Amino acid sequence: MTRCIFHIDLDAFFVSVERTLNPNLMKKPVIVGGDPSRHGVVASASYEARPFGIHAGMPLSKAHHLCPQAIFIQADFSHYRESSQRFMEILADFSPHIEPLSIDEAYLDVSGYEEPFGSSQKLALVVKKRIYEELKLTASIGIATCKVIAKIASDLCKPNGLLEVAPGEEHLFLNPLPLAKLPGVGKKTEQVLQEMGIATIGQLATLPLDTMKKRFGKFGTVIHSYANGIDDREVEAPGGTKSISKQTTFAKDNSDRHYLEASLHYLCDHVSTELRYLDQHAKCVVLKLRYTDFKTITRQVTLKEATDVSHVIFDTALQLLRKTLTQKEKAIRLIGIKLSSLSGKEKQLYMFDTRIEKWRHLDKAIAQIRRKYGASSLRKGKDIFI
Amino acid sequence: MKLSCLQENLSRGLGIVGRAAAIRSTLPITQNILLAAEESRLKLVATNLEMAATCWVGAKIEEDGAVTIPARLLIDFVNSLPNELIDITLPSNSHAVEIKSGRFQAHINGIDAQDFPPVPSVSDGVITNVTSKALSDGITQVAFATATEESRPVLTGINAEFEGERLKLVAADGFRLAVHEMALNSAVGEKAMVIIPARTLSELNRLLGDQEEPVEITINQQKSQALFRLKNAELVSQLIQGSFPDYSQVIPQSYTTRAVVDVNEFLRITKMSSIFARDASGIVRLLITPGSELTPGKVTVSAQAEEIGGNVSEMDALVDGEEAKIAFNARYLSDVLSILHQPQVAIEVTTPSSPGVIHPVGVDNYIHVIMPMFVQW
Repeated sequence: MTRCIFHIDLDAFFVSVERTLNPNLMKKPVIVGGDPSRHGVVASASYEARPFGIHAGMPLSKAHHLCPQAIFIQADFSHYRESSQRFMEILADFSPHIEPLSIDEAYLDVSGYEEPFGSSQKLALVVKKRIYEELKLTASIGIATCKVIAKIASDLCKPNGLLEVAPGEEHLFLNPLPLAKLPGVGKKTEQVLQEMGIATIGQLATLPLDTMKKRFGKFGTVIHSYANGIDDREVEAPGGTKSISKQTTFAKDNSDRHYLEASLHYLCDHVSTELRYLDQHAKCVVLKLRYTDFKTITRQVTLKEATDVSHVIFDTALQLLRKTLTQKEKAIRLIGIKLSSLSGKEKQLYMFDTRIEKWRHLDKAIAQIRRKYGASSLRKGKDIFI
Repeated sequence: MKLSCLQENLSRGLGIVGRAAAIRSTLPITQNILLAAEESRLKLVATNLEMAATCWVGAKIEEDGAVTIPARLLIDFVNSLPNELIDITLPSNSHAVEIKSGRFQAHINGIDAQDFPPVPSVSDGVITNVTSKALSDGITQVAFATATEESRPVLTGINAEFEGERLKLVAADGFRLAVHEMALNSAVGEKAMVIIPARTLSELNRLLGDQEEPVEITINQQKSQALFRLKNAELVSQLIQGSFPDYSQVIPQSYTTRAVVDVNEFLRITKMSSIFARDASGIVRLLITPGSELTPGKVTVSAQAEEIGGNVSEMDALVDGEEAKIAFNARYLSDVLSILHQPQVAIEVTTPSSPGVIHPVGVDNYIHVIMPMFVQW
């Protein structure tokens, strides 16, 4: 059976939510991010701001320089989360096969569900209408027989668009597109491919699979099949959390060890609390650092036994940080921590180490105090530097 | 220095000391092997500063002398030569060694022997000796249970307790514990407890394979070094300082369920389940069911990986006590089952969260304890 997959993406999501709260922002360049005098980045820019060259991820200071007349708004995630949740609820009314990709986009497999509406395009219009009526937000919808093409289609028809790639026309649609439109192809891959004389998705599709495999490994075969319009991935609700991460960009680039370690402690405390909340244990701890020159590195350790103990997680992350930071260190711009290789409640019991159980009790006690008196009611001494 | 010896003998000697040489080191000379021509023998020494191995090779010495040369290079070259006479010459005032055998020759740049770290001499203290086979068995049955992470250094070693005519070897990594007891050939004067690096004992175990004679063990007064004297070789090791955890309280004194099963069968079905357990934190679940008058008791081993599937195997067992459930890391089970010589093993448990005991049937000098995994049943 030919599948019918939607990729639904809300347009300039954060900005649009801000506009529903403050209609004065309509038709003006609006940028949602942090405080421009500090180190934040652009989270979302209105379409009026984009001609100035502003895009998500750009440092706010640069955005301010490019478009000083823009209205800068500090992001308020509580509003966005609420809108996001309602957006997903609306989608779920049309098909149970929903896969949220991020706060403002999702795949929806509507195969078979489009019939009562007459066609998939008519169904998509109804979805858009409901989103607009209930949330005052516009969405762009790509329709195709597989996920990757649906995603490219929604990207091409933004904002407030609707684009269907009919079954059998995948190649016609993909071939002329530049490489960068293919999900998964980042700057580096694009550069390498261009050096090989490849500029469009169509050209990539005709490369021998072997060449791609040799050059890019497993990833090469994946993008090669995408370029050929082949993508068998199912639309599926995320089967449990795969990883938990948190990162922070500093107000000012920093190389002070105490400050970095304190920040790391804060992040570890945060992710391990979430880990316990989800009733999971993690086996892999990943440290991420971005230097002042934007060079980004990750370092990871796999623990012998999965853990959910804050102390163990912080200790592991701290060893990683200390090992990574050498003598003459560039200032750090961003620090992040990720817990992965998650497993459920199961845990290996320890033989001698009574400390583990003590730490576990400590985590529990801290959680109880925070639940009762708020998250900031109790902080650990290490956090004093931040 | 000028000497000649047989390739076969030199190769064997290098094989004995070679692994004690450092692989990467801030002290480059520890990646070398010391060659010293003395008293009609060629002495070979290698050390990584944690342990030092020495052995003697029969050789015709024409001129005394010593030099150190890169271990890997020397070993690989000597091993590639035919089994014929090798001439080794070190011209005076030079560190470039000439190695010649028939029509093959090489010269290797060395480092002055004066700079080679001296091998500590270990005397006094506790002196005893033990049968090679007994020591080798003991090491094999405990060494795998040592910790590989350095977070608790004492657990990377094997605790050796000398008392009277007994030697007890104990290893633990925080999740499992192995205890093996053996007889000494001569009683020690005073009780001694030292922690020997697992790497040293594994290396010693490798050398024990070729030896019939007993091994002499010496621990110095300060309990900082140990010497193992073999027929043609000596191994000196630093000892790990610190106190080994009190493990005796971890060994359960009783059980509520005991199942006797065939070791090979148990190992086979554990390995089978570990295929599925790979994607489920290594967890295998054991269900021990007592038999009735007509049916034998059984042990069921199963693994369940959420997204992949699962498997169940069962085997006959002689069960004493009530039905019991316990989950283990598959690897901890298969590790111990693979080193047992005995045909049958008893597994003794109490509750799903209390340690399980693995006891080979018919011997009372070995016990293995594994901490279970906490799971939802």
